[in-house]
Amino acid sequence: MSSFENSEAAGSNRVKIRSNWYRFKRLCQRYPLGAIGSFIVFIVVFAAVFADFVAPYDPTTTSAKMSLSPPSSDMLFGGDMMGRDVLSRIIHGARISLAVGIGSTVLGGLLGTIIGLMCGYWMGLFDLLIQRIIDMMQALPLLVMALVMAASLGPSLENTIIAISIPLVPQVARVIRSNVLSLRELPFVEAARAVGMSDLRIVFRHILPNTLAPLIVLGTAQLGSAILTEASLSFLGLGVPEPYPSWGRMLSESAAEYVRVAPWLVIFPGIAISAAVFGANLMGDAVRDFLDPRNQG
Amino acid sequence: MRSNLFKVLAVAVVSASCFGTISTAALAEKSGGILKFYHRGTPPSGSIHEEATSSTVVPYMSIFNNLVMFDQAKPVNSLDTIVPDLAKSWAWGGDKTKLTFTLREGVKFHDGKPFTAKDVVCTWNLILGKSKAKLRKNPRKSWYKNLASVEANGDYEVSFNLKRRQPAFLMLLASGYSPVYPCHVPPKKMRTKPIGTGPFKFVSLKQNEHVKFTKNTNYWKTGRPLLDGHEWTIIKSRSTRVLGFIAGKFDMSFAGDISIPIYKDLIKQAPHAICEKHATNVSTNLIVNQFKAPFDNAKIRKAMVLTIDRASFNKILGHGEFIMSGAMLPPPHGVWGMPPEVLKNVAGYHPDVAANRAEARKIMKSLGYGPDNRLKVKVATRNIAIYRDPAVLLIDHLKEIFIDGELDTVETSNWHAKVARKDYQVGLNLTGIGVDDPDAMFYENYACGSQRNYTGYCKEEMMKLFEKQSMMDNGPERMKLVYEIDKKLQEDAARPIIANNVRYNCFQPYVKGFKTQTNSLYNGWRFEDIYLDK
Amino acid sequence: MLYSYLIQRFLLMFLTLLGMSIIIFVLLRLVPGNIVDIMFDSAGFVDPAEKATIEKELGLDLPIYEQYYHWIVGLVSFDLGFSYVSEMPAVDEIGPRIPITAKLAALSLFFSILFGLPLGVISAVKQNTALDYALRVVSLSGLSLPSFWLALLILMACVSYTGAIPIYTETPETLWDELLLYLLPSAAVGFRASALIMRLTRSSMLEVMRQDYIRTAMSKGASDNAINYKHALRNAVLPVTTIIGIEAAFLIGGLIITETVFNIPGVAHFLVEAILMRDYPIVQSLVMFIAIIVVVINFLTDLAYAALDPRIKYSD
Repeated sequence: MSSFENSEAAGSNRVKIRSNWYRFKRLCQRYPLGAIGSFIVFIVVFAAVFADFVAPYDPTTTSAKMSLSPPSSDMLFGGDMMGRDVLSRIIHGARISLAVGIGSTVLGGLLGTIIGLMCGYWMGLFDLLIQRIIDMMQALPLLVMALVMAASLGPSLENTIIAISIPLVPQVARVIRSNVLSLRELPFVEAARAVGMSDLRIVFRHILPNTLAPLIVLGTAQLGSAILTEASLSFLGLGVPEPYPSWGRMLSESAAEYVRVAPWLVIFPGIAISAAVFGANLMGDAVRDFLDPRNQG
Repeated sequence: MRSNLFKVLAVAVVSASCFGTISTAALAEKSGGILKFYHRGTPPSGSIHEEATSSTVVPYMSIFNNLVMFDQAKPVNSLDTIVPDLAKSWAWGGDKTKLTFTLREGVKFHDGKPFTAKDVVCTWNLILGKSKAKLRKNPRKSWYKNLASVEANGDYEVSFNLKRRQPAFLMLLASGYSPVYPCHVPPKKMRTKPIGTGPFKFVSLKQNEHVKFTKNTNYWKTGRPLLDGHEWTIIKSRSTRVLGFIAGKFDMSFAGDISIPIYKDLIKQAPHAICEKHATNVSTNLIVNQFKAPFDNAKIRKAMVLTIDRASFNKILGHGEFIMSGAMLPPPHGVWGMPPEVLKNVAGYHPDVAANRAEARKIMKSLGYGPDNRLKVKVATRNIAIYRDPAVLLIDHLKEIFIDGELDTVETSNWHAKVARKDYQVGLNLTGIGVDDPDAMFYENYACGSQRNYTGYCKEEMMKLFEKQSMMDNGPERMKLVYEIDKKLQEDAARPIIANNVRYNCFQPYVKGFKTQTNSLYNGWRFEDIYLDK
Repeated sequence: MLYSYLIQRFLLMFLTLLGMSIIIFVLLRLVPGNIVDIMFDSAGFVDPAEKATIEKELGLDLPIYEQYYHWIVGLVSFDLGFSYVSEMPAVDEIGPRIPITAKLAALSLFFSILFGLPLGVISAVKQNTALDYALRVVSLSGLSLPSFWLALLILMACVSYTGAIPIYTETPETLWDELLLYLLPSAAVGFRASALIMRLTRSSMLEVMRQDYIRTAMSKGASDNAINYKHALRNAVLPVTTIIGIEAAFLIGGLIITETVFNIPGVAHFLVEAILMRDYPIVQSLVMFIAIIVVVINFLTDLAYAALDPRIKYSD
């Protein structure tokens, strides 16, 4: 008897697992590009987290013997000018790209959300002022803004994150604000206000959860462009400094110089950047489609 | 018997080379044409006296004349290769404390005003800070510490009065860094629209685009220059400009630009190109701040010197072609450097790196460091590849003796200010020298109080030795003393030299009448004898 | 009504630019390492006395608000001061570079519209077909390839196959030579830009196609193609003009990289150099110039939008 119950419980568990697996499969079938994108992003995250275990060599150890050595079984992606393993540097470079990508997205998203919520909820003079500042910040293209910021703050990991996050702030703030504006008139918010809920509580309990979807869409869309901007800044010599192996810097100066002798110095880091950004963009697209209410049903 | 054989051989070689030059000269120099160069970045200004970079001196040297110059056809600069320029002749007086020049008459500046002794006086008064007009920057002040005054005796004679004997003083005047400026043109104009007496006139400079020069048709040397002008296209990316050279868009590379790995690719793509290998007299060196603990301890500095694997630097950065040396560049590229048999006995230069490192580790252990107690330092370097690459290697070598370095890349804009402030622990630096003479080298980089003495190395006894060699005439005696000084400087880890850099200068086969100089990057760019044999 | 809107927008534009100028000015003053140190860099050392003289000469010893005042007054009268680096008037340094960048931008924009617009429409019309997927992947990859990498690959290919490399000359001999000079870089910028246009066209087409009037047209029995091209595109064009406005700002980012890699002496390349050299008069004026362009384009697209609102159009 009891054994029967057990097997039934196990069966329902199996059904649950199977149904999860099924849902996952359905999702992948519905968003095949998104699935591919998420897989690429997963690989990048994996490489970044387990770089110390995955990378075959220390990314900073030099070797006279391996200087500019072509790809071989010793070094799959070849060696750079200083005889460092390109593969290991790409794997460790994923850390910088992700740190900057996620860091700037979170920072920009957070600041933008706070500003957007405040603007949308309180309106008035404060809103007007912030809106003007946002207008100003949007008057400069992302790279120009990041360039000026990077030049004025100096090159470091933290400063690169800040520089790249700043242009995100107005985008997020604008979306959140318009969302709040429409939400605040809805009955459930008015009801909450009627029962005497504090502003702060209304914002956190009712408004914020309802603005999550556009926030996630913006965030995933930002990830790819943040990685790309970091690479561009590094390429121009204003990004994350040595000794961190950054993808953009791997492509600048020395790679370009030895491009004819050692094309692998240009090809592999370029593929790494493109693939990561491509994956992030695919994933972002799928997330947007998934969360877009018009696509439901 | 054997030495006789050598003499015969030498005579044969010399006469052959003489005939060689005569015959090529007879091959008819052709005039006309514009020589196209590439340039690696916009020159900071056109005023040679205010700059200390090849970016300025290489293109602009041909606007000017000096009093004397290094023979442009000879690769190694020395006292023996100095030839007249604006000065027809010179004579020492007062036991080599007074140098008098007789000047050429009838020479005119590009604006038509005549050149006289007054212009010479004005130029050096500008450097000494005695004139009303002031230079914005004065990088060669330290060269002329021993110059008391310059005086004109009439329009065509001028004397340099020295505080003490300095036989090598003439070397300084022969450098591309020592042009004669016109008295009537203010320094500010010299920066933007320089005027000289030289074979070419300045036409225009456009930032990131080009610098252009045209022939001075009234040049005082008859039949010169042969070119109609020379133009420099500014291309910041080395890969692009080298590709441009390979594609035949340029006639000559920029001074010191073609590194050995790049040369190896270039010559494969453009096998017809003529590339002259040359030392640049630019050394890669380690700077250690002696005012910051624990580096105030001479022992730790010695350990750092011992751990450097010069062969590995040489193999990676120079494909084995860099020159092992102390501060001075050895023959045949230079004049004053220690020969291999002397160099070998200097601490840290012994080729057995494993033994050197074992000794270094012993020193480190005696200071309390070890595998469990590693020393963390920041290794500062300028944020450009030629600095960064060796710095990465240096950090790797320091790892061997329990020192963990982290690279602190400093933007070009802050680098010199930072090291001059001595705001660093350990750094990797490149040092270039204007003229290959111990006076210039020691006083600029190792003397107490010099602004370019970044490590703060200062020893009374060394100052005395510097002065002693400076007062000596050239000869085996001075040479011996210079070796001795150089050895001491290396062993004191004043500024340990890791390698003396070697580069290639490449030009198209139709470029004739040019010779790349090997012991300075700054003195061989008069261009008046170059012609295009197309 | 339209006039008051116009005036209001116009005033806002000025306010934005004024604020912008303050932000730029302050940001640049935070820069570590001042211009005088950089000027001394080539000489190799710093003499505090000489440094102070130069600072005074350049007006850097004045209080920051006075420096700002001088700049703004100059800006209004087209006197941008002197470049610290070349000591030439900043106007003369910036002016001649504008046409170069403008040509490049125009050619890139042309490419991006030429490819982006039709492909975007096709992708929307054939939504969720294999063709749509393929086009979306292509456009996404256009947005994912770093432009400097693309430029490097183009250069590499150029040298490998033709043995030649496009080097900028001021006076190209024929029009064809000039076109060749701009062709590769603008293709590099245009690829990315056309990917963006394509994506935006696709989504705005989809948006329009969902709307009621299309459904109405369909129920009236209009053929598929007629709907797509006549109705939908006509209405989708409006957001696309806005997109092209945004695009102009977006292009500048691409131009910065491409001009640097291809060594084209336009304003975008000049900006990077000036930032690295801390040439304030150039940087602040150039960034301001970019801001003015973007703000003015935004203003114009807003006007166009107000004048061409589809609902007004469709009511006739």
